[in-house]
Amino acid sequence: MTTTSGPSDDPRVTLDRDLGVFEPVPPYPPRTEREAEFYTLGDGQMFINMGPQHPSTHGVLRVVLKLDGEKVVDLDPVLGYLHRGVEKLCENADYHQVISQVDPLEYVSSLFCEWSPVMAFEKLMDIEVPRRAEYIRVLSSELNRIASHALFLGWMALDLGGLTPILWSFIERDEIVDMLSSLTGARMLFNYFRIGGVNGDLNHEFMSRLGDWMSRATEQIEAGNDLLNENEIFVRRMRGLGTIDSKTALRMVMTGPNLRATGVPFDVRRAHPYSVFPELEFDIPTRSEGDCLARYLLRMDEIKQSLRIIDQCLHQMPDGPVMAKLPRLLRPRPGRAYAAVEGPRGQLSTYAVSDGTDQPFRMRIHDPSFIHLQSVGVMMPGHLIADTMAIMASLDPIMGGVDK
Amino acid sequence: MALNEEPSPVANLGTGPEDATGVASDVAGQPALPATRPSDEMTSPIFVPNTLWQAADPSAYDGGRPTDITHLREYAATGEAARDDARWGGALEVIPTKADYVLDLIRMNSLWPLLSGLACCAIEMMSTATSKNDMDRWGMFPFRASPRQADVLIVAGTLTTKMAGPLVRLWEQMPEPKWCVAMGDCTCSGGRYKRSYSTVEGIDRVMPVDVYVPGCPPRPEGLIYGMMKLQQLIKDHRGSWPERPVGPTVPQEV
Amino acid sequence: MDRRFKARLEARFGDQLTGPIRQRHDETEMRIAPGDVVAVMRALHDEPELRFEFLSDLAGVDTGQVMQVVYHLWSDVTPDWLRVIADGLSRDDPRVPSVTFLWKGAEWMEREAYDMFGITFEGNRDLRRIYMPPDYQSFPLRKDFYLADDAARSPGAGVRPMERSQVPSNAPAAALVRRTPA
Repeated sequence: MTTTSGPSDDPRVTLDRDLGVFEPVPPYPPRTEREAEFYTLGDGQMFINMGPQHPSTHGVLRVVLKLDGEKVVDLDPVLGYLHRGVEKLCENADYHQVISQVDPLEYVSSLFCEWSPVMAFEKLMDIEVPRRAEYIRVLSSELNRIASHALFLGWMALDLGGLTPILWSFIERDEIVDMLSSLTGARMLFNYFRIGGVNGDLNHEFMSRLGDWMSRATEQIEAGNDLLNENEIFVRRMRGLGTIDSKTALRMVMTGPNLRATGVPFDVRRAHPYSVFPELEFDIPTRSEGDCLARYLLRMDEIKQSLRIIDQCLHQMPDGPVMAKLPRLLRPRPGRAYAAVEGPRGQLSTYAVSDGTDQPFRMRIHDPSFIHLQSVGVMMPGHLIADTMAIMASLDPIMGGVDK
Repeated sequence: MALNEEPSPVANLGTGPEDATGVASDVAGQPALPATRPSDEMTSPIFVPNTLWQAADPSAYDGGRPTDITHLREYAATGEAARDDARWGGALEVIPTKADYVLDLIRMNSLWPLLSGLACCAIEMMSTATSKNDMDRWGMFPFRASPRQADVLIVAGTLTTKMAGPLVRLWEQMPEPKWCVAMGDCTCSGGRYKRSYSTVEGIDRVMPVDVYVPGCPPRPEGLIYGMMKLQQLIKDHRGSWPERPVGPTVPQEV
Repeated sequence: MDRRFKARLEARFGDQLTGPIRQRHDETEMRIAPGDVVAVMRALHDEPELRFEFLSDLAGVDTGQVMQVVYHLWSDVTPDWLRVIADGLSRDDPRVPSVTFLWKGAEWMEREAYDMFGITFEGNRDLRRIYMPPDYQSFPLRKDFYLADDAARSPGAGVRPMERSQVPSNAPAAALVRRTPA
């Protein structure tokens, strides 16, 4: 039995209009089973709307929480506040223009968002990428992964209330991103990968900054870890929170660190190797508890593995061109291709359909954050409101990717 | 220079559509398009009036629509609500005083932004607020979560039609005096999503904008420059912000 | 490219395939009718020699003549990605059974395909719009939904005056719409 929020009971306050828009319950009758089940309140329950603008930094996500006191009983995420129609715009754009359209999907890790369609197009057109270009791609994308995980660290702590780690992680991220800007020209939406290679070769400024940073990187990351890993408040709040077991995680089609924290060692770089990853030595960190702390510690382990990969790339970098020789106007034969990369959030894949013209016929982008937000409905019931943000932060969603 | 400078042939621009050369389409099966200039065949433009946001009193910041939020509608009808009630003057308020100047300095040096990061530009806004490019030097660090406590709305990120409603409501909930900064190409004019079916092409279609900061995303230094421009604006206008231009600033024929 | 895997698939699903199994690079592709989706997916998921327990992607495709739903699966028995195309959905009322009984995570992917194409997934408990507002009337990714910029291909000749002037007035409407097999 829902109680609507009408005008206040105090006769001194008169509202001309009922502020209906603040009601979390939609104004139309439920259209699906799940909607009917969710929007029916049990005894003593109420709705709270965590609106599209809220202090958490993940972006514009609206979650309707069904509460029993302070415990969350159920929740319904409402997406679409950042839906920009990227797939439709890609259908009307050239194959090359797709790269810059697809950048802002997961804007903190945009090199991975570029890599996935670029790989799909290279498969469509049977283009072979030069080895130096592949190594540069791995190098820059692993740097991007470290920047993304540093940001995750900051946000995780910020959503729990700690204000210092985000300042530290933005220092970290600014350094890496300034390095990448000397390589690619941009700080965030890099637009660096091209079909058949990368845009420009490594330059002296980038290499000197990278060498300088690599010599300091380990201590900086250790310092960031020491700030939080042994912090009792942090650990006690995150341990045992949002637990998910591996069977449920596979049913919810989770990938990336969220899946590896439940014990399944699935990493696209090893399960379905692409680029030059077969030649690189790195481990796949896995944890088995499946709670927020496991996801956090796993991402810190992944930073260390990324540093290993960068080191090997620098030592094994071959000479050669950085771009394959391609015609200016790309017109592949009709066909379909699918390519998946392991992004910092999970598997990011693209399914490209070509019809023989110079525009992609269909470019379907599969984003990991979209999938992981579904599992919030599985992880959250039973926890308190204060844990809501912790669980969502530990899944590391980026709304640009969720909403496309 | 030993180049033979040949006289350039006079370009034959033609006189009209019947004179146009055909541009062959590079997609097989499509007819060739005539290469006319758009201004030759200009039809009447479609101008979408801004119905989302208007106000009643033309001297108020949002002249056109009556305020219907609270019981202060009668108060708004007297016209007193449109005046800046932080002025000290009373009858003397037409004469700007040193008190106004000090008030403007106070306002400009502690602008509290509202956390309204929508997309990628939000990351650069956060980067501007953190240690390396520190916005706290100008008093802008406290990003308020509630619009009731915020001075400036930095819209960072693409505005979609679904989000336009909540964003306009946030703007209306902010108490006056308030300013708006459009950060990023998507908020200035729609940016790379200009032709999309679900984005608003520039937030100036739904709310008045004071400073536009272009870029995709703008560098933190760019946002700082925009905020300093806003401070200059506040200082120069001496608190008379109701008189700034409002409404879509996109030319009608585009 | 796993040739023996192709032979195994043909042996197992021979009569349910509506086209030849194609392989290219590291992908194997099979086409089935929409009615067979439940049986084929359950077989791929449950059988111990196939073990396709990982649904990688669920996409809708509008080819202009028919609609398709494309599933990408991964298993550790083969190094290839498996692509299952449920082909032949009509463009007027596309219906296909839902796979949420196997993977609960497919729910939102099917919601997205419904929102963008109008494909009804029978058995999905929560088939409502996910990106567009709930009162939105069209399905944006269909081929008959034109962006304002797609003027040369739109029978409506574009919305903005700059695009209108570029369209030849004598072009037949049929020539402007791109219809391709895929």
